[in-house]
Amino acid sequence: MKKLLTAIFAMASTTCVLAQETTTSPLEISGSVDTYFKYDFAKNPLNGKTSFVTDHNSVSLGMIDIALKKKTGKASFVGELSFGPRGQSQSIPDAAAGGSSFNIQNLYVNYDFTDQFSMTAGYMGTFIGYEVISPVGNFNYSTSYLFTNGPFQNAGIKATYKFSDKVSLMAGLFNDWNVYSATRGVSAVGGQLMVAPVEGWTAYINALSGAGFGGYGTIIDLTTAYQITEKFKLGLNAANYDIKDSSVPGSYVGGAIYPQYAVLDAVTIGLRGEYFKYKEAGAVPATSFTAVTLTANIKSGGLTFIPEVRLDHNSDKPFFNKSGAAAPNGGQFSLAAVYAF
Amino acid sequence: MKQLLFIILAFFSIQVSAQQKQFSKDDHGKFIYYKVVDSQMLSKDTLLQRAKAFVNLAYKKSMLQESITDSSILAKGTMVIDKTILVAGHPSGEVSYHFVFEARNGKYRFWLTDLLFIPYQRDRYGNFVATTKIGVPLERTPGKLNAGAWKDILNSTYSKIEKFGDDFKKYLANNRVEKAKKKAESISTKTW
Repeated sequence: MKKLLTAIFAMASTTCVLAQETTTSPLEISGSVDTYFKYDFAKNPLNGKTSFVTDHNSVSLGMIDIALKKKTGKASFVGELSFGPRGQSQSIPDAAAGGSSFNIQNLYVNYDFTDQFSMTAGYMGTFIGYEVISPVGNFNYSTSYLFTNGPFQNAGIKATYKFSDKVSLMAGLFNDWNVYSATRGVSAVGGQLMVAPVEGWTAYINALSGAGFGGYGTIIDLTTAYQITEKFKLGLNAANYDIKDSSVPGSYVGGAIYPQYAVLDAVTIGLRGEYFKYKEAGAVPATSFTAVTLTANIKSGGLTFIPEVRLDHNSDKPFFNKSGAAAPNGGQFSLAAVYAF
Repeated sequence: MKQLLFIILAFFSIQVSAQQKQFSKDDHGKFIYYKVVDSQMLSKDTLLQRAKAFVNLAYKKSMLQESITDSSILAKGTMVIDKTILVAGHPSGEVSYHFVFEARNGKYRFWLTDLLFIPYQRDRYGNFVATTKIGVPLERTPGKLNAGAWKDILNSTYSKIEKFGDDFKKYLANNRVEKAKKKAESISTKTW
């Protein structure tokens, strides 16, 4: 580990000499606010098996999110805080504070040693997966099983080398998932290969191995999006997570597809189709979900209305029907309003 | 209190002046920023050399020369459009353009056209990045829902292009080689 860190810093200090000055940017302030109404067809809030959008028949809060960014020469920082259920009690690191504090979404410093090579240290949104915590970064308002079960954020240090606009490589050392400070040391190694084979198509092949959910494990992830025409975009996410101790539940495999079509300048319709399976772990049998989510994004300036219908299925009956009995299907309607500034 | 009043008035006067700026349209109905500049003292070759340096040195990070003749340069480029609230803000997108420069002895003209807007969105790391590679022509009339936001984009783009035009005119008016030589002169404190 020491050798790897030494090598990274040696590389950084060498490339520092080659760097060119860049200009200073003004302080960037941005953020978002979101709120939603959800109606579970079985009138049972426990039917939601993925992150956020928890409340039934309630106008509820998402979060207020405020981000600051500043770049001076080659150095920059990003600080992003969120307040509200989506950013507090429903975001994992805040559990230790009883869900009453705030969640740091991003808190890191970055240094561009050259136009190609940069290093980043701090707490960052995870590089794994298609969806993110911020509702501004997602098309669908509800989240996928892949998102819910993967890491949300990673603290660590990473180095990124951009070979060209079409290829870049990131490698880093990270703490265990979703913690501000390591509970098991800097114990995970991660990497990301970005390729952009044709204009409009970007693919990320991600790997993270080390301390994570359920102990030590390895996650391999493919996240890709292709803007095929001006109106049609196709996204795909597939991931496999294996916990080293196969008797511990939490290993999974799954895939989700995200076709989206702009029917008007201000209106885009999108579908999310997902298959997700928890793997067998000791005496716990495997179980699998399929989910279809139909979503519209209606934009007016910074405001986006997101009506959404979601149907989930699992033959092991983890859902509840109106009378409270176990059921194989769950369904919900939600209407969210997200304002980004 | 007076300072606050001054800031508010300055803010609104900037807003009003920004709203008054509008792109002209060319023969094909496309937005164009077109300028003809008299430069009596400069030859065609000098103007061309300076324009070439502007594209390939001063703006090399955002411009790419596509072709050059003995009196013209064709280039393409992008500029980042900001969403600003007084002193703070963030990038809201980028506008790509085609840049044409033509020189004659004692005068030159340049124009920017084929303006395409690509919106930015904040990514998972808090950085603003392009959401698509396919740009929307600035001439497009948006629906009612986004008319206000589109107007802001047009105003911001015009201001950026106007600044670009001013930079270009200043660059061509100055002899960079002489300036560089002057900068290199050192001052001795041994004798005075």
